[in-house]
Amino acid sequence: MSTAPEVLDARTLPADDNVNAYAFCVDLNGRWFLQKGKMIAYYGRIDFTGVGHGHLDALVAGSFHSPLHAADWVVAEGTGKMLLADRAFDVNSYDLDDGNLTVRSGNLLAFEPSLSLKQSIIPGFLTLIGTGKFIAASNGAVHFVEPPVRVDPQALVGWADCPSPCHHYDHAYLQGVWGGIRALTGIGGASGEEHQFEFVGDGTVLIQSTEQLLAEQDTGAVPQQPGVPGGGTGGGSGRAPQLPGPFGGLNQLFGG
Amino acid sequence: MPFRQINSKLVEARVAPGGRLFSQRGAMIAYTGDVRFTPNWQGGQGGLGSMLGRRVAGEATPLMTVDGQGTVLFGHGGHHVEVVELSGDTLCVEADRLLAFDGTLEQGTLFLGSDGGVMGLVRGQVTGQGLFTTTLKGSGAVAVMAHGGVIRLPVTPDRPVHVDPQAYVAHHGDVRNKLSTALGWREMVGRGSGEGFQLELSGNGAVYVQASEEKL
Repeated sequence: MSTAPEVLDARTLPADDNVNAYAFCVDLNGRWFLQKGKMIAYYGRIDFTGVGHGHLDALVAGSFHSPLHAADWVVAEGTGKMLLADRAFDVNSYDLDDGNLTVRSGNLLAFEPSLSLKQSIIPGFLTLIGTGKFIAASNGAVHFVEPPVRVDPQALVGWADCPSPCHHYDHAYLQGVWGGIRALTGIGGASGEEHQFEFVGDGTVLIQSTEQLLAEQDTGAVPQQPGVPGGGTGGGSGRAPQLPGPFGGLNQLFGG
Repeated sequence: MPFRQINSKLVEARVAPGGRLFSQRGAMIAYTGDVRFTPNWQGGQGGLGSMLGRRVAGEATPLMTVDGQGTVLFGHGGHHVEVVELSGDTLCVEADRLLAFDGTLEQGTLFLGSDGGVMGLVRGQVTGQGLFTTTLKGSGAVAVMAHGGVIRLPVTPDRPVHVDPQAYVAHHGDVRNKLSTALGWREMVGRGSGEGFQLELSGNGAVYVQASEEKL
């Protein structure tokens, strides 16, 4: 079975919906916040302005309260259709209705300015408060679970409406005779699951299908690839540069 | 049935008192209830002898014992997961492809040389299995990891199946496998099709192949 790829244009692109599992189309009419480098294409007249400079002070003062992440975010302003994607992760949009949701900062792609962004108490996470739509990525489909639950820290995407998690350390296997020997000698190793985030109370926890987080990629910098001016030879760095988008897997196929 | 497939990369396992699971270390995504994860330095079941056997065979993958009461979500490395149900037959699979399996299954190591002599060893080299492979025998379920989706191909006596050795994941049942070569002068001068080696599986059972030629 082979189907030709569907050709989409400004009119046939979905409005505020997924194009496929890995790309989302925003029907922009006004302003959106988006993380740098997550826009892959757009139709229409859209200006991208970095947070912290320009004429957007009022907007930033109203809905962006995270100076730590200001350098990673831009404001898209104008009308048109904007496609967002991230490292071939699964992309989904979520609607918040006068709610709050905390999400891993690297997984948040974009949000409406009707939401307000704040830094979570848990390092590396951002909290969105208010009403509106936001877009987040996950490595593999997102699975929703309800507390009480303990989650591998790397597999956690975010949580909604529940109290912030606490750390849970599990050393049950260090008890008894064998546990004592294990604790004294270190023989036997660790299970790798001693540390979890524990959630209690009412709410929803979002987890991704794998504990693997893909490396964050620089945007705006010259790629370290042979043949790219200013990019050096790329050799000796050990890891071959990843090709963008759906071609990322080519490196792996060719043993890169 | 301890495993429930949640999506293509995630399975949910139920553990109850008295029962236990083995899983790859670090593959737990989340859990509810009172569940313990104990590193298993023997790399599975059996006594010291089995452990030494696995160490020597290079099939000693880091495992942990999961017991207690509750449900556990497993996923690892973004690999696709396939749940294989065994009812009394034997599954042959590489140890590092095991995401989790029932503690009731009997774990063993198989020397490939005992299944086809020298050709068995060559086959192990080509499929990336090495000289040994892990066997799981009994009744229960196994969650197997693969790069890309998994396809189950039934093997019947009148229909042997040929698979690419690199896409081979596992097989179960009464299946004999044989490496068939299609090497000719083209391969010798470096103009081969790249499909010079194939794994021929015949007998009664099933073989699992992944939609990729990449090893885990």
